[in-house]
Amino acid sequence: MRNAIGAIVVLAALAAFPLVIKNPYYLHLLIVIGIYAIVLLGLDIVVGYVGEVSLGHAALFGIGCYTAGVMIFQFGDAAPWIKSWGFFLLVPMAIAVTALFGLLLALPALQVTGPYLAMVTLAFGTIVQILINEMDFLTNGPLGIALRKPDFLAMFGAKGLVDATRDVQFYYVVLICAALSVLVINRIVRSHFGRAFEALRDSPIASDCMAVNVYRYKVYAVVVSAALAGLAGALYTYSEQYISPNTYSFELTILFLLGVILGGRKSRLGPIVGAAIIVYLPNLLSDIFLFRVLTAFIAALAIVIVASAFIRNAPDKYNRLIPGALCVAFFPFAMTLESVTDYRLTIFGLMILFVVYYLPDGIIGYLTKTFAALRPKREAADTGEVVVDASTVWKPREFEAPDGVLLNVKGILMQFGGLKALNNVDILVKRATVHGLIGPNGSGKSTMMNVLSGVYQPTAGSVQLLGEEIAGRTPSAIASLGIARTFQNVQLFGEMTALENVLVGLHHTYETSMAGVMLNTAASRHEEQEARKRALSILDFVGLAKVADEQARNLAYGQQRLLEIARALALDPVLLLLDEPAAGLTAPDIKELMRIIERIRSEGITLILIEHHMDVVMKICDTVTVLDFGQKIAEDVPSRVQSDPRVIEAYLGAPADAAA
Amino acid sequence: MEIFLQLVVSGVALGMIYATIAFGYQLTFATSRTLNFGQGEALMLGAMVGLTLVLMGVPYLLMIPFVLLFGLAQGLVVERLAVRPAMRIKSEFGWIMATIALGIIFRNMAENIWGRDDLKFPSPVSEVPLQFGAVRVLPMEIFVVIGALAMMAAVEFFNRKSIYGKAVIATSNDRDAAGLMGINTNLMISLSYAMSSMTAAFAGILVAPVTLTGATMGSVLALKAFAVAIIGGLDSALGAIVGGLLLGVIETLTGFYIATGYKDVPGLVLLLIVLALKPAGLFGKTAIKKV
Repeated sequence: MRNAIGAIVVLAALAAFPLVIKNPYYLHLLIVIGIYAIVLLGLDIVVGYVGEVSLGHAALFGIGCYTAGVMIFQFGDAAPWIKSWGFFLLVPMAIAVTALFGLLLALPALQVTGPYLAMVTLAFGTIVQILINEMDFLTNGPLGIALRKPDFLAMFGAKGLVDATRDVQFYYVVLICAALSVLVINRIVRSHFGRAFEALRDSPIASDCMAVNVYRYKVYAVVVSAALAGLAGALYTYSEQYISPNTYSFELTILFLLGVILGGRKSRLGPIVGAAIIVYLPNLLSDIFLFRVLTAFIAALAIVIVASAFIRNAPDKYNRLIPGALCVAFFPFAMTLESVTDYRLTIFGLMILFVVYYLPDGIIGYLTKTFAALRPKREAADTGEVVVDASTVWKPREFEAPDGVLLNVKGILMQFGGLKALNNVDILVKRATVHGLIGPNGSGKSTMMNVLSGVYQPTAGSVQLLGEEIAGRTPSAIASLGIARTFQNVQLFGEMTALENVLVGLHHTYETSMAGVMLNTAASRHEEQEARKRALSILDFVGLAKVADEQARNLAYGQQRLLEIARALALDPVLLLLDEPAAGLTAPDIKELMRIIERIRSEGITLILIEHHMDVVMKICDTVTVLDFGQKIAEDVPSRVQSDPRVIEAYLGAPADAAA
Repeated sequence: MEIFLQLVVSGVALGMIYATIAFGYQLTFATSRTLNFGQGEALMLGAMVGLTLVLMGVPYLLMIPFVLLFGLAQGLVVERLAVRPAMRIKSEFGWIMATIALGIIFRNMAENIWGRDDLKFPSPVSEVPLQFGAVRVLPMEIFVVIGALAMMAAVEFFNRKSIYGKAVIATSNDRDAAGLMGINTNLMISLSYAMSSMTAAFAGILVAPVTLTGATMGSVLALKAFAVAIIGGLDSALGAIVGGLLLGVIETLTGFYIATGYKDVPGLVLLLIVLALKPAGLFGKTAIKKV
């Protein structure tokens, strides 16, 4: 609520700006800031939420610019309406074309991550710039394209009623577009799409196992981001009234990234502040006196910081010497400079280094961290009365299990090079049972889990879930069929709350499309409400309702393990794979865990349990399979497995007399 | 047919340059899973320093050791300022952005020191082409091929035969285990960056006489060399050579048969295609992620 009021005040102030300040220079500056803000907001989805580096956004921006520009250049003379009313066609067209290019880039590029992706997007950017330059029959090449801003008032016949220059009219257009962008992005990041973006950043493997296809959602993120770059591009074409290929260089891409990380990731305000800085920066740098004052200030600040580190005798005081000395050395250097413009790129570079190492959360992130009052309140789960009733937790899947067989694993071979981690293993899991999977370390238990959940593709053999072959399918496809899992080393989405973690598990219950989310339809709101209720009841089921709004990484270890189970239950699984759920738990926690497992079984869900706590295994398992060196050595009810000589030998070694 | 052969021969020299830079990427990727996004600037600085020395009257061959030393030092600076702090905070985003930032700083500095115009690097060998049947080969092109192969062979030899090289390989295989065996893995990463920049600087003085020398000469070369490293796989020196030759030849062919302006396009498109179909590269091994 407080945020909304703030936004309205800022919007009103911005709307009043042209009435107060008549200087066209500042008006243009604000227009460009608004346009850059739209790009940066979109880039933040990729950089901030999905956590990938894109060096291709200058190119996407350029595609937006040139979509509008080329249409006017090619058809403007033949059909004059394109130069006026065409605005309303060209802007959506630029959005669509750029989104399409974003898709073309994303489909191959998102096969890879990290540095690979950065390089690929850089390659894309270089190609686009070359093509714009070379395809002069289409784009007029290096000569560029000139055009004029449309006169909206004249178009609507309101010329006499209101008096405003084309620049002022356009200012309002950009303002509206930027405000709409903020609104749309807010809706997306708060929806299940936004949660999917954050989840896949925190743990891609867990996202896939929650039926959130990582690849697909990354593609969505890039396409949305590209669409915004396209919108900004079209506006930029009109704002500058002249476009040429040199604008969309590597330098612009770097400037965009600097804007996002300097302003602050994962916020709306951050990219806007970042846009303001990167647009205003060149003006600041053209004033040599102001620049010298600034460097003097930075040098003084560096001396204070380093000196205070030495006075406090901070352990990392020597680490601060180098950056400190560099900052100080920069001042005499600045005094010798005749003009700063030549050193613009150096200064951008230094700013990037500084932000990466000393201001990783950006300006807004730093402020919100330092001043708690500015911190946005996490939306409290407004779910009304929560029905705490186990029957509402799951709508147990309706399914037929012929002969009561749920899972039929036959002849699984999993080979890593020469090592056979699983060698010809058969397992038959009956419906609504707890099936134990035990064996010494390195016997292939976790490998089996990874094969069943699709993380590994088995070398040979078949896995049938209710008669359907699932070996070789992707983890997200297998998760959709109803196999949920937890992980041996906890794979929660650390920066999200417990409730949000479960909501990611409930991702499959959402039907609203991206468009529905953007429009915030009644159906989408209802769906979110229902999911939140359900998520809370699942949390209640495992006893975590009271920590629903706590960040997952802040939970106690035992709670994190239970949260993983809750998240897996949200998938409505027919089969739940638990990989060492009791590892590291205290005795009371283990008792609680066993109670929860019993209750899950009584809901008709089948479990496969890997566990080293033999008392747990013996107490709750109906059948136990024992693996040793990738081979099945026993399978029976717990009591008989316990006395099987081969099992004893596997765990304790052969008796001395047998060896003799 | 003769023209075709001529183009292939020209492409080979260019391809060896790509291979050398790609080889530099492999060195740092092996030890630390990081890359220098400013590799092109390392190359450019090598060429610029070399040119300065040559213009001061230092003979080409005598200049080479100085450039190699300069490359080593430059690599150490990059590692120290951009990579190590990011590795300490385990931030992939950090080292990508920091090496990019250092790259643009180096480029901008070079622009201010040596100017924005392209300079001519005097050829150390005769500029009269040699005639092999119908194909003409510049002596410098032969020099490039021999020099690039010698550089890669020297680094490979160092890696395989010396105890430092063994430590580098141990670090690349398993950094934690190498650290526990008493290997100073930070030093090894520094060393790999030094050697990586050294090979790039050397590539710079090899390529400079056949192209123009300028502050922006490195960026596109480095990007295409990355394409080569991906095509060949980031862990295969042979892959780098094959990928480099492939790209070099395709490029000269495109430049001649389509248009010079488009000659950079096929390599980058090839990069996109390889990543889409076989992300580990043609010679690379697919890694299995442990859960």
